[in-house]
Amino acid sequence: ENISDFSSNITDCTQVVVPEEVFFTVAAAGILENLLVLIAVIRNKNLHLPMYFFICSLAISDMLGSLYKTLENIFIILCKMGYLTRRGDFEKKLDDAMDSMFILSLLGSIFSLLAIAADRYITIFYALRYHNIMTLRRALVILAIIWTFCAGSSIAIALFSYEAATVIPFTILFPLMMFFILCLYIHMFLLARSHAKKIASLPASTVHQRTNMKGAITLTIFLGVFLCCWAPFVLHILLARFCPHNPYCACYMSIFHVNGTLIMCNAIIDPMIFAFRSPELRSTFKKMFCCAR
Amino acid sequence: MSALRLISNRTSQQALSNSDYTWEYEYYEYGPVSFEGLKAHKYSIVIGFWVGLAVFVIFMFFVLTLLTKTGAPHQDNAESSEKRFRMNSFVADFGRPLESERVFSRQIAEESRSLFHFCINEVEHLDKAKQSHKGPGLESNIHFQEVPRSSGMFEEDLNCLTKFNIPNFVNTEQNSSLGEDDLLISEPPIILESKSVMQSSHRILD
Repeated sequence: ENISDFSSNITDCTQVVVPEEVFFTVAAAGILENLLVLIAVIRNKNLHLPMYFFICSLAISDMLGSLYKTLENIFIILCKMGYLTRRGDFEKKLDDAMDSMFILSLLGSIFSLLAIAADRYITIFYALRYHNIMTLRRALVILAIIWTFCAGSSIAIALFSYEAATVIPFTILFPLMMFFILCLYIHMFLLARSHAKKIASLPASTVHQRTNMKGAITLTIFLGVFLCCWAPFVLHILLARFCPHNPYCACYMSIFHVNGTLIMCNAIIDPMIFAFRSPELRSTFKKMFCCAR
Repeated sequence: MSALRLISNRTSQQALSNSDYTWEYEYYEYGPVSFEGLKAHKYSIVIGFWVGLAVFVIFMFFVLTLLTKTGAPHQDNAESSEKRFRMNSFVADFGRPLESERVFSRQIAEESRSLFHFCINEVEHLDKAKQSHKGPGLESNIHFQEVPRSSGMFEEDLNCLTKFNIPNFVNTEQNSSLGEDDLLISEPPIILESKSVMQSSHRILD
């Protein structure tokens, strides 16, 4: 039987368990929040813009991630209660499907963030031609391409996950995209800084340095949250592939569920960073809840 | 991934443990892992990873704050005179006559047009100021009045980066009929854009 048999040595790294209540609460909160964002964008015609479509794409991928975790938990509970056999063919296919859903969520998140960053970049640096460059139709085409690619690669990765050839590109893609997004935002940031310089060069300028800190804080929060939530899991994949028997790696892999919970926390934080900062979206929410009462 | 599901050992007694199953196809086995003879602490990878991540994020934050510092004064002098011209052309939109506007408009490269977005505050304030003080003679007063206020509004400026509502910003009735080339060449659009800026700026800055 393929049970990993940690020795009963007291120096074992036992699996760190996250209570299921926490798990389900976090997952449910993530799903609900992103669903709200989707509904708000669909209902309000003013929000039918490329920028909001990209934010919706991010919301969908976050929802998929949380959904995966929820389904997995339910699945495990059903297994424990005996409704599902542990080695059936159906379960294996289901497991594959869920794995690919999760990878789809990760890839979708990365590409959605990239699309949002590129959209903001075009907004700032090609502002006057923005409407010609980023038409609604083009945005939808871009999203279709992104999601087709993500779906294809997620199925491929789930099927061939045992080969190093899939693990390595997957783990290289992650920091590469992060780096690219960081470059885009730093470029935009530099423009803000040059603007601050110009304000400062005006006579009797009393610009505070502290006001510029807010942009730095925002950017750090955005990228820091994404890194802190996804990097642990990516490292887990790497270690599981390359050093599963090493005790250090095994100890890292014992916090797998904490990593999973972090990914679901990302699903909760992302709407706050992106969607809820838009006044239009917030007013749509207020209208939705006021009408419900 | 099925290969990643850690099979909990038999010592995990919690009924709510959620890793308590096996799959038939394991790509590799987690054989018994011996924890003897470890030179470093067993959670060293965990600790090292999180410390590294924290250091990286803090480093990134410091790099960004360093970027916000407005550089040495001698760097500014070289470009400040030229940039101040351009700045004034945006800022003193309504204070100056149209001809000088035209002169400046031709110098405007596309990248500096993006400064429009950040000049929302200035233009908006100037419009308010303009309504109360008519005449170009009070322009320097306007600068004096506006700059301290603009410093306070700069927070929203940078917030604009993250909550950019730019489609509302440039999409007005006046602009819709202008083609892309028109916006780059002629100067009346500048004033039109400024008006659209002001109309939309309230939305953005709210």
